[in-house]
Amino acid sequence: MAATDTFDAIVIGSGVSGGFAAKELTEKGLRVLMLDRGIMVEHGEGYPYDGKPAYEVPARNSMPPAVMESDYFITKHGYVTPSNRKFYNDDRLNPYAYDEGSKFYWIRPAAVGGKSLIWGRWTFRWAPEDFEANKRDNVAIDWPIRYEDVEPWYKYVENYIGVSGSRENLPQLPDSDFQPPMQMNIAEKWVKPRLESKFPGRKLINTRLTNMTEDKPDQNRTKCQYRNQCGNGCSFGAYFSTQAVTLPAARATGRLTLRSDAVVTNLEYDATKKRVTGVRYVDAKTGQAQVVKARMVFLCASALASVQIMMNSKRPDGRSWFDSSGTLGKYVMDHIFRVSIGGNIPGMTEYIEYGRRPGGVYIPRFRNVGGDEGVGFKRGYGYQGSAYRSPAGPVGFGKSMKDGMRKYNGWQFGMTAFGECLPYEDNRVSLHPTKVDRFGVPLMVFNVTFRDNELKMMADAREQGEAMLRGAGLTDVQSREGEHVPGDAIHEMGGARMGADPRTSVLNKWNQAHDAPNLFVTDGAQMASVACVNPSLTFMAMTARACDNAVKLMKAGTI
Amino acid sequence: MIDRRQALGGIAAMFGASLYAPLARAATAAAAKGGGIPVISEGPPSTQVFTAPQRALMSALSDRVIPTTDTPGAIAAGVPDYIEKLLADWSTPDDRVPIIAGLDAIAARAQTDYKKPAAQLTPAQHDALLTLAMDDKLPGGKAFFEPFRQMVIAGYYTSEIGITQEREYLPVPGSYDGAFPYTNVNKVYSS
Repeated sequence: MAATDTFDAIVIGSGVSGGFAAKELTEKGLRVLMLDRGIMVEHGEGYPYDGKPAYEVPARNSMPPAVMESDYFITKHGYVTPSNRKFYNDDRLNPYAYDEGSKFYWIRPAAVGGKSLIWGRWTFRWAPEDFEANKRDNVAIDWPIRYEDVEPWYKYVENYIGVSGSRENLPQLPDSDFQPPMQMNIAEKWVKPRLESKFPGRKLINTRLTNMTEDKPDQNRTKCQYRNQCGNGCSFGAYFSTQAVTLPAARATGRLTLRSDAVVTNLEYDATKKRVTGVRYVDAKTGQAQVVKARMVFLCASALASVQIMMNSKRPDGRSWFDSSGTLGKYVMDHIFRVSIGGNIPGMTEYIEYGRRPGGVYIPRFRNVGGDEGVGFKRGYGYQGSAYRSPAGPVGFGKSMKDGMRKYNGWQFGMTAFGECLPYEDNRVSLHPTKVDRFGVPLMVFNVTFRDNELKMMADAREQGEAMLRGAGLTDVQSREGEHVPGDAIHEMGGARMGADPRTSVLNKWNQAHDAPNLFVTDGAQMASVACVNPSLTFMAMTARACDNAVKLMKAGTI
Repeated sequence: MIDRRQALGGIAAMFGASLYAPLARAATAAAAKGGGIPVISEGPPSTQVFTAPQRALMSALSDRVIPTTDTPGAIAAGVPDYIEKLLADWSTPDDRVPIIAGLDAIAARAQTDYKKPAAQLTPAQHDALLTLAMDDKLPGGKAFFEPFRQMVIAGYYTSEIGITQEREYLPVPGSYDGAFPYTNVNKVYSS
């Protein structure tokens, strides 16, 4: 780095949160350095398998078991394939650990853009009651903010990124500022009224997705082409990713410096001034370490990687500079989701879907909405699903089999429950006492388990899911419950929760570390609870909100 | 409640000993392999899976699983090469065993029933032998048939012919219709 380089802010991480921080801060006039531990991937040219059919992808796009087992033995629980694997972490090169009995899947990205390149893209606002739930249930600590604090920022982010969906006026799932929804198929339209009339108050609605249904020519983005190959990278920019949306915006200001392959190990801290004074990183290509400095730091490395960096920023006694509350690394959460229910939808075989639609339909939360209903668990769950027809799979061989494979089965419906996990103090991460990774950072150790409340919730989700599909008239309704492993939903959150009291939280209501007002943590680490809906939109909204405040504070001279 | 941080901090050695799989496996694999992210093998098979007679029989049988009809069959779609590559580099060595054994059992049965090398039989004779395997009426027949059939299917429907001729690869710009008349469907859409 040239000695003349100076930055107003350093953003660590370039996923949905870091990318938004870079955009907001540069657009507000700051000179920003964004660091990401992953490789550089440019929009378009960095997607080598965008639009490529299987015969143009190594191993016909099926990961060879030897490679999967040696290098992707955690990531395989995500959605890694040969066509997208450069976006995914190599588990062999970047190990972590968990306590006996606390299996955790830490599924991480490996490229600039982070998980924004490979995410599920389901996009929901949290509800007013999600920010009130801890107080209402007397669980953990109350949020220091309410829905109204975030609402304008939801609106701002949604209008910028493009979210397709339908207005529903549901208190438990506030509407976004939507582009038109992707249409339901004929079989989903058949299920909807039957389910809703049989179960008053329950809804089956269009998915809410950052796959656009209208172009954004000002951002050089084209609406979804219905390929459903999003995970390979989308040169149309049809779904939200850092590459397609926030990185071009930040670059357009001329004030962004982006360094890939920059593995942040720790933050430097001035105990007298109570400020972060530098960010130390190792160049993954050369192994060289250096420290960069700026007035403020946005830590957006993903929930538990951000916690790891904070934990590895140590006082002489080994504790983190940012853990005067003693809560850093605690109250780690994920959504619980290995319950799925499916069945056959009778009739309508004269119709089929044309095009490959990403997303599907959603059944919003109906349990404990507005108060505890005495169903034996707190909070609730929603279902993500779709109706579809699959090609037939006849047995045997020869012409009759080949001909048989030219037909489609009838309509089927499948859905998966996503449930809220409560914050527990002893669901925690810590640094390994002796083992370090190739960059000298102590390995993360996970001690996170789902508890009685989550398991009861999933049992209910299974039972209710079966009842709803049967009640709606589906046949051969079946359900299954897989192994519930925290991290598996890739919605890991918490570990540096926000709160009003510095004695019981790591961050204040503006995402500032209580112990360092020029350190902002705006990714999933901040969460004091996790709702039951997908979190990325909330990460983005909270990031934009924190950036707005940070720049005000900087201009006022208080940080 | 016990403060877990204090409890664990005090017994760090025991704590370390209780750590589980990812760490241990990663260390083992790294020691064995070294270096960076592995390349997925492309190009010709890195090892010869079949003898020449086995290869000829495997190839002929693949074309009986998916024969040429109004669209090309397995051989035209390159399925035999795919299968050898799959068994050489993209699957585990164990996966070769029932395939080799099945081919040898079919070849032996061909000698018994037809007094000819298996690869020289007629399509009808190959069909008869495949049926014996499918029905588990020759040694290792069932263990051979279903994996072999699945390899042919996988290779065919991920080939250029499978994706663009037997099936239809949807064009870009694309669109979505959730109530498209089935009578307008000419071919199954490739995934």
